[in-house]
Amino acid sequence: MLTDKNLILTRAEPNGNGGVQFLYKVAGYGVSAINRPQEEISQLNWELEILKYADGESIKFEVCHNTDLADKTLVFYNDKSVNEFLEKAFSYFEELGSLENMLDK
Amino acid sequence: MSLANLTPSPGFHKWLPVEYRDLVEHGPYFRDKKPKVSDMGKFKEIVEEHPMCAGCAMTLFIRLVFIGLPTPEHTVIVGTAGCGRLAISQGSIPFIYGNYGDTNATASGLKRGLEVRFPNQHKDVVVMAGDGGLIDIGFQHLMHGWFRQEKFTTILLDNEVYGNTGGQESGMTRQGQILKMAPRGKKTGKIDALGLAKVSKVDYVARIAPTNPARVARTVRRAVLVAREVGSSYIQAYTSCNIEYAIPTPDVMKDAFDVEKDRYGFEEIISDRAKEFLAEVEKKDKAKK
Amino acid sequence: MSTQTASKVPEGKPADWVPAGDLQEVVDPEWLMHEAPRTTEFITGSEAAREAIRRCNVDVAISYPITPQSETMQQAGYLYDEGHIKEYYRAEEEIGTMSAIAGASRAGVRSLTATSGPGLMRGLEAISSWPGARTPVVLLNMCRVINTPLAIQPDNIEISFLLNTGMLHAHGENQQDFYDYTLAAFMVSEEVDVTLPATVSVDGFFVTHARGHVSMTDPKYKLPPRDGWRSAVPAMDNENPPARISRDAPIQKSNFISYHMHASWQQEVFAAVRRSAKYWRKYLGDLIEVVNPGAKEMIIASGAAVSQARECVRQSEEKGIEVGLIKVKTIRPFPEEEILNAVQGAERIYVPEFNQAGWLHKEVCSTLYGKCKADIIAGPRVYGGMTMPTELLLDWMAEGRKDNPSYTF
Repeated sequence: MLTDKNLILTRAEPNGNGGVQFLYKVAGYGVSAINRPQEEISQLNWELEILKYADGESIKFEVCHNTDLADKTLVFYNDKSVNEFLEKAFSYFEELGSLENMLDK
Repeated sequence: MSLANLTPSPGFHKWLPVEYRDLVEHGPYFRDKKPKVSDMGKFKEIVEEHPMCAGCAMTLFIRLVFIGLPTPEHTVIVGTAGCGRLAISQGSIPFIYGNYGDTNATASGLKRGLEVRFPNQHKDVVVMAGDGGLIDIGFQHLMHGWFRQEKFTTILLDNEVYGNTGGQESGMTRQGQILKMAPRGKKTGKIDALGLAKVSKVDYVARIAPTNPARVARTVRRAVLVAREVGSSYIQAYTSCNIEYAIPTPDVMKDAFDVEKDRYGFEEIISDRAKEFLAEVEKKDKAKK
Repeated sequence: MSTQTASKVPEGKPADWVPAGDLQEVVDPEWLMHEAPRTTEFITGSEAAREAIRRCNVDVAISYPITPQSETMQQAGYLYDEGHIKEYYRAEEEIGTMSAIAGASRAGVRSLTATSGPGLMRGLEAISSWPGARTPVVLLNMCRVINTPLAIQPDNIEISFLLNTGMLHAHGENQQDFYDYTLAAFMVSEEVDVTLPATVSVDGFFVTHARGHVSMTDPKYKLPPRDGWRSAVPAMDNENPPARISRDAPIQKSNFISYHMHASWQQEVFAAVRRSAKYWRKYLGDLIEVVNPGAKEMIIASGAAVSQARECVRQSEEKGIEVGLIKVKTIRPFPEEEILNAVQGAERIYVPEFNQAGWLHKEVCSTLYGKCKADIIAGPRVYGGMTMPTELLLDWMAEGRKDNPSYTF
């Protein structure tokens, strides 16, 4: 099971491929974790994207491949490793958020 | 079923049809000494009235099968479309009449279900169906039931034709025979179902014609007992169709004797484990007498 | 009396082996469905089915492989090995499977099997005879394309073939439904005034081979066993007076009695389908779920299409548009009254489906004909394994809002 921490939405994978999408959000950034159906159950995995949200309210976002966390789609084969990555990402986003805040000021 | 289940409340007794009262009082159920073929006419048979054609050898054979059942009060019959079911369904034993050719699959599930539900009471399952039902449309289920060594008895009523649909050739029709759907005579030979049973390692296999009534009953008893304790059993019986093969009614039994002599002689193929089991049972039977 | 004993230890098991099913506690089914504490796991639909079967006190399960179902009946095999299921085997093919499981049900024991698209088609002769034989069986059906060219993709056209068989039928949206509906299906199908087989369908792959949240009760609890004596027709166990009770013998002959008997038998089967509604309600709450009741635009959907519809409702809401959703849980009995009540006030109704024929659209149309003024839009539909993006549904609805309300598929 993935963590509920910073989870803002769980929904059917919107492209219609089946499976679910978990959306996390911290300080304007976030993570999308998608678990799609696989013909071979042993191949079930999580596809993670780092996101940058457009604003504070809606869930509009763009995929963000230029952070230190990841420059591509990440694939994980178990929940534990995703949760570990999420923890790392959350603190990174917080740090990034406060840096950006400082820059703005 | 217990005798109490069968016996009507005293208040209802006189209102029940005489056939039912006869079954309770003079039927073959719950007897220490089961009625034999030689007692025919002296007890209430499981099937008496039926809509079969006059002189039908299959009907005689079915009556004898019912007499041979070791425990009719704990037997369920599974049949399918064909002449036989017209008589079998009139028998006072629960009869499952399903889709054409589903008998041996149905019996597999039924037998296993009954074993789960009644772990301390044998329930005998007997499939009785024709050559079309078992060797043509139901072939796959027949064979796979054998491969799985399902513990029920299959009785093939072999009239070598689709009698009930009006006389078409079947897999058990002999080569050259002219029938409907074989306007120039059947191109290929009769399927060797006995051989298939043998290679499938069926524990008890018998070929028989209804020429010796006591032998029919004994064969049925053996087959059912083997299925109860050892593995699959199979009886292939010649039960002529006097209509489609134009056998004059008075000559039906003569035909049975002729065919028996020519190609349907009594034969048993018994596995070692079934032989051992039957010897034990029959030794006990003798001791009882 | 038999020489068998009730607790024969199977070959390969230690002498002190106890079937896992014997260690479970039988509990009240309503308590199990509504009150028993649950924990949530993130598992596949096949695993959800396994967990449901574990709690269903199944006597006989008969399996035959077909993608995407195989996974589930394999798991049932493991449950048999553990002793949660009493008897289990792999049959020769689907006519064999469907005939044999009906045989098991006629013995009066709880019976389970599962299949997918082409397997369902192969077994259909046997399946369509279950309701008339009044055999409670639960059939888990993982929907798959049935037509040529061959494919293994999700497409629920096969449900249309089951609509008029007299079978009960629930259509699950997700893994959670697969778990809940399976438990409910056994209980409903074995009610005396129902005594009918029940299918639980889910859309293959989307549910079976994908993970979702499933909240489940403790595996130490199980449903009460099937009572073979409690049934609308006697079991074929020879425990009833053998007074030529063969239930179908008089119907075989072509005479005026046979027509009347067959007609009344069919009437009774379909009446029993209707009677089952009260039991489905008991276990599933209601036969439908309504989101945003009273909305002018409604979506009516079943199965995986519901999940896409939910996202469509959410995204519309973000744009300030209220869209309603009716999730149909049971296809048979079809919740006519409930749908009729839920669409009062609707002006346009969309019926998104994962099949070409649009069987749900036809059901909705015949239910609402003459009783509702809304336009009932035939779609959007995807099939053959196509995906249904939320965008497709949003586009159709945007199109519908233009001047031409008669826009159809």
